[in-house]
Amino acid sequence: MSDVTTVRPEVTRAALEAAPPGRLKDDPILITFGMLKTFGGIRAVDIDHLEIERGTITAIIGPNGAGKTTLFNLLTGFDRPDRGAWRLDGRRLDGRAPHRVARLGMVRTFQLTKSLSRLTVLENMAVGAQTQRGERLERALLRWLWRGEEARVEARARELLDRFGIAHMADEQAGTLSGGQRKLLEMARALMAEPHLVMLDEPTAGVNPALTESLLEHMRALNARGVTVVFVEHNMDVVMDISDWVVVMAQGRILTEGPPEQVVANEEVIDAYLGRARDPAGGGEAGEANDV
Amino acid sequence: MEFDVILGNAARAGLGPQAAIFALAAIGLNLHFGYAGLLNFGQVGFMMLGAYGTAITVATWGGSLWLGIPLGLGLCVAFALALGVPTLRLRSDYFAITTIAAAEIMRLLIRSSPATELTGGPFGLQTIANSFYDLNFLPDGRFGWGTFTYSSNQLWVMLVAWILVCLCSALVLGLIRSPWGRVVRAIREDEDAVRSLGKNTVAYKLQALAIGGVIAGLAGVIDALQQSGVGSENFEPQVTFFVWAALIMGGLATTVGPVVGAMLFWFLREGVESFIREFSGLGWLPDGLAGFLDGAEGAISIALMGIGLIALMALWPQGVFGRRRDLHLGT
Ligand SMILES: Nc1ncnc2c1ncn2[C@@H]1O[C@H](COP(=O)(O)OP(=O)(O)O)[C@@H](O)[C@H]1O
Ligand SMILES: [Mg+2]
Repeated sequence: MSDVTTVRPEVTRAALEAAPPGRLKDDPILITFGMLKTFGGIRAVDIDHLEIERGTITAIIGPNGAGKTTLFNLLTGFDRPDRGAWRLDGRRLDGRAPHRVARLGMVRTFQLTKSLSRLTVLENMAVGAQTQRGERLERALLRWLWRGEEARVEARARELLDRFGIAHMADEQAGTLSGGQRKLLEMARALMAEPHLVMLDEPTAGVNPALTESLLEHMRALNARGVTVVFVEHNMDVVMDISDWVVVMAQGRILTEGPPEQVVANEEVIDAYLGRARDPAGGGEAGEANDV
Repeated sequence: MEFDVILGNAARAGLGPQAAIFALAAIGLNLHFGYAGLLNFGQVGFMMLGAYGTAITVATWGGSLWLGIPLGLGLCVAFALALGVPTLRLRSDYFAITTIAAAEIMRLLIRSSPATELTGGPFGLQTIANSFYDLNFLPDGRFGWGTFTYSSNQLWVMLVAWILVCLCSALVLGLIRSPWGRVVRAIREDEDAVRSLGKNTVAYKLQALAIGGVIAGLAGVIDALQQSGVGSENFEPQVTFFVWAALIMGGLATTVGPVVGAMLFWFLREGVESFIREFSGLGWLPDGLAGFLDGAEGAISIALMGIGLIALMALWPQGVFGRRRDLHLGT
């Protein structure tokens, strides 16, 4: 926990403990301080303190516009905050370009799936592999320098594709995949980078129930191998099912956080987020809970 | 009407040095746009730097041609960095606008009177290619038959130009088939996805821009050797658009597309021009129209090709060698 005071010396442990959201974790892999991002007048993200426990599955929930995607963009370097500091495994990430963040072991996926359409599925996977010698211009034509490495990358890619059930599509162009298959591909591709922490923005959105189940299985399996998972999710059944910890966001702020059972029982959360769906009078809107 | 004359002229143009020069420029542009997705509308700027770098070294400074050529190509790398470093981080349309403006500003500077001492200004520079033709090992005399008769030096420059076309095609093919090329093609599809996977996309785009720019610079060098001189009027913005037309006709993101497209471009351009000349020569046209056509064959040929290109985009958008299927893969 020495990180706390080195990143923001003025933040004392006592002060942190006094502020309930942003609870301290035993072994945080990611620590965020004083993160603010405004768009015009909107405080899209305004988080005093957030920690992610290593080796857990953390769900981030909250209505649309709560700032979940913006938080992902900030943490992974795709957007710059007005202020804020954050650390991955003790290394400062603020001000780092997205590719540097990824190289340090935090890899994200996107709410709107980004498949590389006119590359094959296998090529999509290969782009995910890190520190390839053949990716350097000066070695690109010296095939003998990277032929072996290329074979290893391909073998690993095929194995992952097999696990994700899309091995039969390996040589097809990614643009021909269905929406659900693209979600699978994007997640598998992120794993090619061998991240310590994956940030999945709505991995199950628009995915049919059978595929959702398989995606969740992959997240569990990944987690079992020691990878920390953070994901944005609207479906409360999924959240209750898979996550160890839930962070609730609303209007850019962290409303509360805790174990799933505790969070769903929280009055504030019910009011702000789950209320309408749980309210018998508003039963007709239950389906909307997923979209709120 | 003499169709064999028309066809002969067209074929001569399709095989001539201009076609090879366009092929080189299109190979570079294909790396830029076809593979890396960079909207470069200033390809003529790279050609101009290759040509002028060579010509200035030889004609103005009295240096060796073999120093001038690498200098010209070095200028292309510098131009790529100057264009790319400030704009490749921004949205792609900023880059596109910068390229067209930068190439034209450079041309205006080159032909301005204060630059005359260096660049020859509006008069250009001459007699720069002697050491190139000294290397010609072909026997003296004329070769070929009919329309396809070439002098030894013409044949020499064509030989070198088409060899360079083959080498550059092979170079781009090799690069694109490597893991480096995979990243470049991935950037064309979705740059953010590639950044999220730990690749420094700006560096890759700069590299692709510089390599494609140097290949276009080679096109400019050949142009300067072929005419044994340079003139700023050869590097007007429309050259870039003709190269685009050639590339699109041949097919984007293919190896032979830019080469065949450039040959086709010159074949059609010269063929249509020849046709109009022959046609008005028949005396079937009223005097007014014949007078209008006289001397305007080049412009009309280009206009017709523009219309043809629009039709091509509508009916056959993948070009000669492109894959139609690719056009339907939404991102
Ligand atoms: N690029 C942007 N420009 C302006 N406003 C934005 C931008 N991105 C997000 N916002 C705003 O920030 C808020 C948070 O958005 P977002 O992070 O996408 O929410 P979530 O992912 O939780 O649905 C919303 O009010 C949204 O309109
Ligand atoms: Mg979102």
